[in-house]
Amino acid sequence: MAEITDISNDFIRQEIEEYIERPEERERNINLFARARPKMQEIAAALIDGDNDTVNRLTREALDSGIEALEVMDDGLIAGMGIVGIKFRQNFIFVPEVLACARAMKAGMAHIEPILSAAGIEPVGKVIMGTVKGDLHDIGKNLCIMMLRGSGFEVIDLGVDTAPDRFIEAVEEHDALLLGMSALLSTTMPNMGKTIEAFIDADLRDKVKIMVGGAPVTQEFADDMGADGYGKDALACVATAKKLLGVVAKTRA
Amino acid sequence: MGTGAKSAGQMTSRQRVMAALRREPVDRTPVCNPTSVATVELMDLADAPFPEACREPESMARLAATGYTELGFDTIMPVYTIIQESSALGCKIQWEQKDNWPTVKMREPIWEKPEDIKIPSNLLTHSDTKCVLDAIRILRKEFGDEVAIIGKTMGPWSLGYHCFGVEQFLLMSLDDPGKTKLCLEKLKEATVQFGLAQIEAGADALTLPDHATGDLVSAEYYERYLRDLHIEFVERIPAPLILHICGRTVDRMDYIAQTGMAAFHYDSKNEPAESMGVVRSRISLVGNINNPETLFSKGPEQVRKEVYKNLDAGVQLVGPECAIPLQTAIENLKEIPLAVRDWHREHATTN
Repeated sequence: MAEITDISNDFIRQEIEEYIERPEERERNINLFARARPKMQEIAAALIDGDNDTVNRLTREALDSGIEALEVMDDGLIAGMGIVGIKFRQNFIFVPEVLACARAMKAGMAHIEPILSAAGIEPVGKVIMGTVKGDLHDIGKNLCIMMLRGSGFEVIDLGVDTAPDRFIEAVEEHDALLLGMSALLSTTMPNMGKTIEAFIDADLRDKVKIMVGGAPVTQEFADDMGADGYGKDALACVATAKKLLGVVAKTRA
Repeated sequence: MGTGAKSAGQMTSRQRVMAALRREPVDRTPVCNPTSVATVELMDLADAPFPEACREPESMARLAATGYTELGFDTIMPVYTIIQESSALGCKIQWEQKDNWPTVKMREPIWEKPEDIKIPSNLLTHSDTKCVLDAIRILRKEFGDEVAIIGKTMGPWSLGYHCFGVEQFLLMSLDDPGKTKLCLEKLKEATVQFGLAQIEAGADALTLPDHATGDLVSAEYYERYLRDLHIEFVERIPAPLILHICGRTVDRMDYIAQTGMAAFHYDSKNEPAESMGVVRSRISLVGNINNPETLFSKGPEQVRKEVYKNLDAGVQLVGPECAIPLQTAIENLKEIPLAVRDWHREHATTN
C-alpha cells in the first residue's frame, strides 16, 4: 500500500490530507496518485484548482510527449475530478467551484475525445439524461453530467422539459441501458413517475435501469415512483450509475 | 411557547401576522404563506386557473383569497411565481398550463455582462408586474384590515440567475467578483422599485426571494455578495421583509439574522430547533412544513407532526416551506391552522 509521501505533487498531497476524510477514499486516492506520473498529478492539480488554461496546456503537452490519451484521462482528468466530487459532497466547495473544475475538464477532454473516438475505445457506460417535462431547471442535471463524463461515461443530454416519449425515443435510439431524470420543482417531480409508467406501457421497463435525483427528490420518493436508483448529489449519481450498470451486466450475463 | 402572551381570539389575522413579524406577543401563532398555496383544487374553486391567475388581476386576486377564505391561513399572497419582474425585464417565459408554474427560460439568457443591464422604464407598467399591483389593490379593497396581504419582490441574486442563466451567473461570481457585484448593484433597483410599488398598492409585507441556497453556494457567498444588499433593502423598503431561500441555509442563518429583515422563510432541510438557536430572536422564522414528502405525499397526521415540531421550537409563523405542489390536497393545507389551534389549546394551561 502506498503512503501519502509517495505522491510527488505538493498540491495533491495537501488536497488529500485536508479534504478526504473517509479512510477508503483516502487509501484509493493515495494509491492512485502515488502511481500516477508527475505530469498527470500536475494536470489533476490544475483541474482541482479550476484552471482551464493550464489543464488545456498540460493535456496537450502530455499527449505531444507520447503519453497515451487513456492515461491522461484516467490519471489526470478523472482522478482530479474524483477529488472535486468528494469536496463538493462534503460541502468544502459549492457549485461555482465545481463549474470551474468542469470547465477545466472540458478543456482537457477536447484533446482526448477525438483520440479515444478514433481508436474505438468504449466508454464506461452510456447514460441518457434529462430534466422532466415541465421543468426548465438544469443545473443539478448538468452537474451530474459533468461528473458522469468526468468518470468516463458517455452521456446523451436531452436538456430540459423532456417528455416521456422523448426519453423512450432516446433510450431506443442509443440502445442505452441507463436513464437519469432530474426535477427541481415539486410540481414536476411526479413526472418522473409518469415517465416510468410510459416505459412500462411501451414494454421497455425491463430493458433500462432508471435513476432519479434533484433537490427536492428523496430516496423515499424515488422508491414510490418505482425508480431503480437515487442519487443525493452528483457524486452519488456516478456511484448509482456504476452500480446500476453493474446490475444490468449481471442480469444480461 | 414563543410569543403566546395574549388570549385567543383577540387579534385579527392581520394584527397577528404583523405582530409575529415584529416578534411581539400574539394570541396564537399565525399561519403564513409567504410564497404560494395555489393548488389545482383551489383554482377550480375560484375559477382561476394557471396561467391566467398569474397574468390577470381579478383572477389572481380571486385565487389568492382562497388562502384565507378556504384554507384559514392568516395571510393572502397573490404572487404565485418568481417570474413577474423577470418577464418585465425581458426574460422569455414558459407559461405552462394549469398543473405547472410558469418558469423563466434561463437557457435563453438576455444579458452577458453588467453593462447590458437596463431596468426598463415600464418595469411597473408591464402587464406581468402591473397585474400584481392591481391584484393587491383588489385584495386590500375587499379585505380591508382583516388579513395580512403579502407581496413579493425578487432579490438581485435570483434575478441574476434569470437574466444571465444560472451557470453563467455562478461562473461569473467565481471568475469576476467585481463584475458580479456591479450586476447586483444594478439589479437591486428592480427589487426596490417593485417592492415599493406593492407597498403603495396595499401590501403589508413583502417576501424577498434571493436564492443563495446552500445547495448552490457557500455561506461566505451570502456574506460577501448579499448581506449588505439585504441590509440596504431593509433601509429602503418601508415594510416588513421576509427573506426566502430554499434548501440548506442553517450555515448562513447567522448572517441572515444580521440583516434586520423581519423574517426568514426557511426550508425543511433545516431543523426548527437548531435554526431557532442560530437566529436567537434577531429575526422571526416562517416555515417549514415539508412540501414533496409531507404536504404532497402524506396525510394530515404527518402535517400535524411537523406543525407541532415548529411550534415546540418557538417558530414565530407556521406554513409550508415553499410554494406548494399544485396537486397538494386541500385537506393537508387545512390541517395546518387546525393543528396550530390545537397546539395552543393544549399549551394554554401552561401560560
